[in-house]
Amino acid sequence: MDFKSEFTNIDVIAIHDDAKRRHEQGWRYVQILAVNKDDAIDLIYSYMLDGELDNVIISDVARDAVIPSISDIFLEAFVCENEIHDLFGVAFEGIAIDFLGNFYKVAERYPMTVITPEQLAAKEKARKIAAAKAAKEAKAKGASDKSQNDANDGAKAETRSSEKQGKTIEEEEAELEAKLANMDPEKAAKVRAAFLAKKKKAAEAKEGE
Amino acid sequence: MGKSTIIPFGPQHPVLPEPLHLDLVVEDETVIDCIPQIGFVHRGLEKLVETRDYNQFIYVAERICGICAMGHSLGYAETVESLMGVEVPKRGEYLRVIWHELSRIHSHLLWLGLAADAFGFESMFMHCWRLRERILDIFEKTTGGRVILSVVAVGGVVRDIDSAVLLEIENVLDGIKGDYEKIVKTLLSDTSIKNRTVGVGHISNEDAISLSMVGPFARASNVNYDVRMFGKGAYGDLSDFEPILDAQGDCYARIKVRCLEVIQSIDIIKELISKIPQGDIITKVKGSPADGAQAANVLEQPRGECYYYARGNGSKYLERMRMRTPTSQNLAGMTVALKGCDLADVNMIILTIDPCISCTER
Repeated sequence: MDFKSEFTNIDVIAIHDDAKRRHEQGWRYVQILAVNKDDAIDLIYSYMLDGELDNVIISDVARDAVIPSISDIFLEAFVCENEIHDLFGVAFEGIAIDFLGNFYKVAERYPMTVITPEQLAAKEKARKIAAAKAAKEAKAKGASDKSQNDANDGAKAETRSSEKQGKTIEEEEAELEAKLANMDPEKAAKVRAAFLAKKKKAAEAKEGE
Repeated sequence: MGKSTIIPFGPQHPVLPEPLHLDLVVEDETVIDCIPQIGFVHRGLEKLVETRDYNQFIYVAERICGICAMGHSLGYAETVESLMGVEVPKRGEYLRVIWHELSRIHSHLLWLGLAADAFGFESMFMHCWRLRERILDIFEKTTGGRVILSVVAVGGVVRDIDSAVLLEIENVLDGIKGDYEKIVKTLLSDTSIKNRTVGVGHISNEDAISLSMVGPFARASNVNYDVRMFGKGAYGDLSDFEPILDAQGDCYARIKVRCLEVIQSIDIIKELISKIPQGDIITKVKGSPADGAQAANVLEQPRGECYYYARGNGSKYLERMRMRTPTSQNLAGMTVALKGCDLADVNMIILTIDPCISCTER
């Protein structure tokens, strides 16, 4: 028997009927999990049959939405439903054994919905790196097209020092911000100031020529 | 029929050094209902994935539980490898399974010793733990650690075992097998153990399936499910793998299945040692999981199937890491097994289902 894991999407209103259908077809309940997003939550229900692990995703569930419990069909789901309620604040209606928010003794209300500064910084850094990479690719593509049309046109443009290295000011700034995302703010300010001073000096030298 | 009374069990109880609380509703001496409660030691380890990169988190994963440490690091690594499309070298896969099966033997022997102690069979406890010590010695010799091994990395393993040590492991396992078979024969034929376990805490095959129970406790109710049968990694190179099953579904069947799984694990390790290929043990992993990429995976831990999920966000930190442990899946089955039992049998039923709250609380 081979193992296969798949992800499928489903609407929140169909989740109870889906669980009922799967129960009748002999699927085994595996788990429910939640993923915290900036302004919503994803829920993932997993079932297994003959080595096929089916992960059913309900995307972008509103934080105040009420989800129908499937613990009337799969009793053991009460553990995950209570857990998601206590850690993410998602409300489930009709849990077979409902602890009413007292399943986990946690110091902070809905702790898994707190977005840490480290997580924010990492996401921002990844976003900037992706943007810089996309800009570089777009520029490379543009340069290639341009050279096909007229090899001389591009040479006349404002030849800033960064362009000599094949980078625009915007790209260099994006790369710098990506590098600074996880840095100590005081140190980051110093690096940023040094970068600007260097750019200013390069521009003045250019004007002098 | 007597008056209903609620008797609290745990979270501090001599028979179970785990913070599990049960509200046992009893009439006379019979348990008519049971409400389990956990949540006393929730540690928020899944949240740590936001501040530890995907390579560092492996050390957090293996600290989820001292008994299933190897399994958690393996399950986590397999999930991240699936997320990033990393292929593990064959020798790395073999070494992982050898350590994981050794870990299963250590877990089962630990549990068997504790169960024997709870029966009042203290010499059996000492014999089980004496054998377990030899497994821990193998861990120490091959990894430097006895509980937290830290040998699994994303992409493979960080330590190799040379052929002389593999031969030594084989010899130690042969020695353990001989001693262990004598212990198991004594344990399973002991009249006082049979009196306390046969027909007690029965879970029917239908209940075990409908409650999605996992692990040796489901297999003791004749549920033919073991993640190892999917043949992932080095398990796929075994000449044959059949889950150990029993149809009785009572405490005795659960003890028997776990006892026999030790011998099965010894045979698996010996076969893998005889087949282990030469070559690299790790693939160098570069880059980060893509934004929105997700993977789900299952692994057979000593107590049963454990589910792992990971989602990337384009950075070296994962967006989400989730582990659903076997105990979480077996809690509902445990309440069913307790309904209708004598109050004096509660300890035995809980011991044979062996909940691990440390894993479940994460």
